[in-house]
Amino acid sequence: MQSASLMQAEDAQDILARAVDRMQDLGAEFSDARSQTVRVAGVSTMNGNIRQLVEKETGGVCLRAWAGGRWGYGTVTSFDRDKVMQAAEQAVRNASGERKSDLQLEPSVVRGYHPAKVRIHPDSVDLSEKIDAVIALDKAQAIDDRIMNRVGSYSEEVKTNALVNSAGSDMGWEEVRTLCRAVSVAADGMRMEQYYDGPDSTRGFEVVRDADLEELGRLTAKEAIATLAAERAPSGNLTVISDPMVSGLLAHEAMGHASEGDEITKRRSFLTDAVGRRVASDIISMYDNGTVPGAHGSVPFDDEGTPSSCTTIIENGIYKGYMHSLETASQLGLAPTGNGRAENYGKRVWVRMTNTYFGPGQWDRDEMIADTKDGILCDKMVNGMEDPVGGCFEAKCLRGFLIRNGEIVKPLQSFTLTGRSVDILGSADALSREVVLDGGMCGKGIEDWVRVSSGGPYMRARMIVGGGQ
Amino acid sequence: MSDIHAYAERALSSVRSHQQSEVYVSDALVHTVYIDDSRISNIETKRDTGLMVRVADGGRQGKASVSLSSDSSVECCVRMAESVLRFSPESSDFRGYVQPGRARIAQPDVWDPRVDAVSPDDLREMAQRLIDSCRVNIPRAQIRVSTNECRVMNGNGVDAGHRSTLVYGHFTSMFRGDHPGEGMETFHGTHMDIDLEAVGESLARQAEGSARGREFKGSRSLTMILPPGQLGDMMMSSVGSVVNGENVKYGRSLWKDSLGQEVASKGLTLIDDPSSRAPLSCVFDDEGAPAERKAVVENGILKSFLRDSFCGDSTGNGMRRSSVEAQGAYERTPVVKPLNLVASPGRYTPEEIVEQTDNGILVERFAWPEADGLTGRFGLNVRCGHIIRKGEVVDTISNALLMGNMIDAVKNIELIGKDVRQMGVVSVPTMSFSGTELVGN
Repeated sequence: MQSASLMQAEDAQDILARAVDRMQDLGAEFSDARSQTVRVAGVSTMNGNIRQLVEKETGGVCLRAWAGGRWGYGTVTSFDRDKVMQAAEQAVRNASGERKSDLQLEPSVVRGYHPAKVRIHPDSVDLSEKIDAVIALDKAQAIDDRIMNRVGSYSEEVKTNALVNSAGSDMGWEEVRTLCRAVSVAADGMRMEQYYDGPDSTRGFEVVRDADLEELGRLTAKEAIATLAAERAPSGNLTVISDPMVSGLLAHEAMGHASEGDEITKRRSFLTDAVGRRVASDIISMYDNGTVPGAHGSVPFDDEGTPSSCTTIIENGIYKGYMHSLETASQLGLAPTGNGRAENYGKRVWVRMTNTYFGPGQWDRDEMIADTKDGILCDKMVNGMEDPVGGCFEAKCLRGFLIRNGEIVKPLQSFTLTGRSVDILGSADALSREVVLDGGMCGKGIEDWVRVSSGGPYMRARMIVGGGQ
Repeated sequence: MSDIHAYAERALSSVRSHQQSEVYVSDALVHTVYIDDSRISNIETKRDTGLMVRVADGGRQGKASVSLSSDSSVECCVRMAESVLRFSPESSDFRGYVQPGRARIAQPDVWDPRVDAVSPDDLREMAQRLIDSCRVNIPRAQIRVSTNECRVMNGNGVDAGHRSTLVYGHFTSMFRGDHPGEGMETFHGTHMDIDLEAVGESLARQAEGSARGREFKGSRSLTMILPPGQLGDMMMSSVGSVVNGENVKYGRSLWKDSLGQEVASKGLTLIDDPSSRAPLSCVFDDEGAPAERKAVVENGILKSFLRDSFCGDSTGNGMRRSSVEAQGAYERTPVVKPLNLVASPGRYTPEEIVEQTDNGILVERFAWPEADGLTGRFGLNVRCGHIIRKGEVVDTISNALLMGNMIDAVKNIELIGKDVRQMGVVSVPTMSFSGTELVGN
């Protein structure tokens, strides 16, 4: 559905240009104006009944002025010319630094409109097909009386962005994301465990049509039931084989956040001045790459209009470089990398990851297990926390398996991994050939959630393990 | 404020022909100042106004939300909701929207004219005062003040309005050295009660203290002492989950069959009290159901669950608003949330709790305080903790995992402090819990 407000967003370029002119006239050293509409459709079920069925269309204009070494923002959920101009004036007043900045921001100059590259645009698919897919996913989980909750969900997000800046960019672009997920909760007496699975992508509705929803639902339920037999994980400094999701969580939490340019310019990261230093064993390479086709964290441009790129963070164990926004790149005299991102039009831009992952190795997963005398194999992540100052991290795993003498002997309940990032990556001695990316949301500090993915191969290393009771 | 009342009335008149209908409009004005590296980096001013429409015929439901960006936005939202309704299958779970009810509490004190009057220049002055009062670096901090006005109306005759102010602060500190240390503080409130000098002093003390921490080695069973800043989120993620009526309805609450039974130590009493000054306190919830003061756990006995209209027999806990952010309430479907879950204070100061602990850890800061909502389990990275032996702090540690289960822990409360503090929608004092395990390298 193409509604009135979307049309206004696409036609807003002229208003944005005038707002930028106004901010420059009022003394901004640099300014940009960004409009965005976000259209969302979401369907979810619980035990065969519809729980959520919603469409949303939100949007607004964010005016940003750089003056005196600080940013001023003015944001309105209106495309009315007068209100946008008032917000532009407020942005300059909010900046109003005492001195002229010694930084020279160097944005790319981009023009034209860039639609999302999808095979089946979600707008072209009836809501009824989306509902049917979710109900099929829900029903497929009904394989056993111990499945207490069956959740099927689908969501799509279409973001339409327009950006004008004082350097001459006058551009627009579209981002499409499609997600589908099964969540099963299994119960046996007072014991409850859950499992989840499903695809996420910057592709279109082909993500759903190409998926075997019957198989996805059935396997999710089967794994939830299997987890009921899981035992408490052992604790201590152990050999761990992280699956691609947990490897990705390590990449994101252990090294990714600490490689964000703003943490470097503040000297808050343990990786400050680390370029050229060994930070991992020589089998480890790591990237942040916003250009991976179809990956959940891919963006054609960041929210400052900089084209997305691939940043090599670690190459064969040697630290190579950081991710940047316009501001942090300028502070360090480097080129922006397309990592200046905002949750939406109402949130601030700062340095954020896109798709962050370790590169592949030479092993097969089963070879790694057979080669491990005592250890733990991780299966799926819950969430994690970064520690850029201390150089540590926290990664929660949904479940795992105990390995004894090269064989999986039993399932393990949820547990947590921690340790010093450099020590862990330094101990990595085996990576699988298979690399998988998994989509999710990343907050920085306490909020500002952006869509990212993280991933990698199966990775064997030493980590501190602790299982909850 | 925008004229949200006209928008609400216009939207409801467009959807009254449906068997069930509801409209919710919210308008927020938000000012935020950000501090990066002990300097003011950014000041924001945001205006956010939007609408959600819900309609239902039989067991079929349609729902849509829009930001009110133009004159046609209301009609656009109504069309979207009705379009969704046409595709909706029947659901046996839907019980209808809220019926009108009388107010059960007096209007809480949640509007501070000083917050309403704050200008970006005032925020700049506040941020500078914080920077000046903190002797260590502030790598990242924000102070956000908001005004929020909302109105919910439905076809059953509900018509409820609410306005409140919010003050939220999140602050970090860093002591630079060979072994850097960090500190963190938060502030949740409705009034301009934030003591920035005290925040600055606390940030400096924490950062300097944690810089002395050393890596914990080995493993040990001990008592966990959690101050309000850590316990608030732990309580919300665990107890908040098992008293949530939707989790009870779907059988995924560990307390689903425990009403009237002992679920916690006798010292634990939790009252959901929307009548006192707190970020989500209100007379009617965001669906228009009357909010009420109710005992959730009383002297360790489970007394009630929290419910919204979806659960049926609403207790006035259907919330769209957030305790930290006024923006975007109209985008959110109501969910069950405590309005102001207050733990009754005990008799002890935090220092007395430490003195009476034989073998324990006082957790100054987890990486992120959170327990699993389904099982209560936790395994959390301790960023800064103080090891206690025979009533005295003997060591400061970092980078260890503290493991336990919060649903079990509330049965094993040893001591309860009297230092109750607001942490989002939960107010808790320092408490100590036996039966946790610390693991290091």
